[in-house]
Amino acid sequence: MEAKAVDRSLRRYIYRHFIRHGRAPLVKEIAAALSAPMRQVRAGLKRLAETHAFVLQETGELWRAAPFSAVPTSFPVQVGKRRWWANCIWDALGIPAMLHRDARIDASCGCCNHQMVLHVTNGRLSGPKGIIHIAVPARHWYDDIVFT
Amino acid sequence: MLLFRSEPHVGRWCAQWNRPRGGTLNLEQGWQLAQEWYGDRLSPQWRAKTVVEAEASFAAIGLVGEFWKLAG
Repeated sequence: MEAKAVDRSLRRYIYRHFIRHGRAPLVKEIAAALSAPMRQVRAGLKRLAETHAFVLQETGELWRAAPFSAVPTSFPVQVGKRRWWANCIWDALGIPAMLHRDARIDASCGCCNHQMVLHVTNGRLSGPKGIIHIAVPARHWYDDIVFT
Repeated sequence: MLLFRSEPHVGRWCAQWNRPRGGTLNLEQGWQLAQEWYGDRLSPQWRAKTVVEAEASFAAIGLVGEFWKLAG
């Protein structure tokens, strides 16, 4: 299979897995599901990581598939009975935006941890007023995406 | 990209982490940006935005100026 087709399948499978199971698929799970050799999956994941939407752990397993995080964060998002972790407040809003579903976001103030629960209902956002702060200028977002 | 209760809380965080103040947007702008950025993410036709397209998305919700430029 050519690289572009592999990447498309990978991308689709990763998002589908996150949505259905609430967690990232392991490399071996991806390889089994796509009937692809592990080295082909790992090479595809590396190419996806070059787009910045996907970030890998040092082990080669997925860390992020924006807007989802494979590890717990301060941005839990609930849609119906399902729950995911987002990477940041932008991504927390991105989960209901991507799924086109109502959601509850259990956010909190980055300074004092004061609870700030946000709701998305029928495409409208409600909750406390708040300010999103982005510490890094846009052109440097991907220099250190974890800090950003 | 963090959420804060108010401007003073942004200022306190910047002081605590010894960081200059960055860019800010209100939650409604954040929601609009999220929809613009992620609304078509599951489409089979999805592709990453170009720099020009991404900057246009920022500008469409009022995020303009040096801080929001991706190129250069």
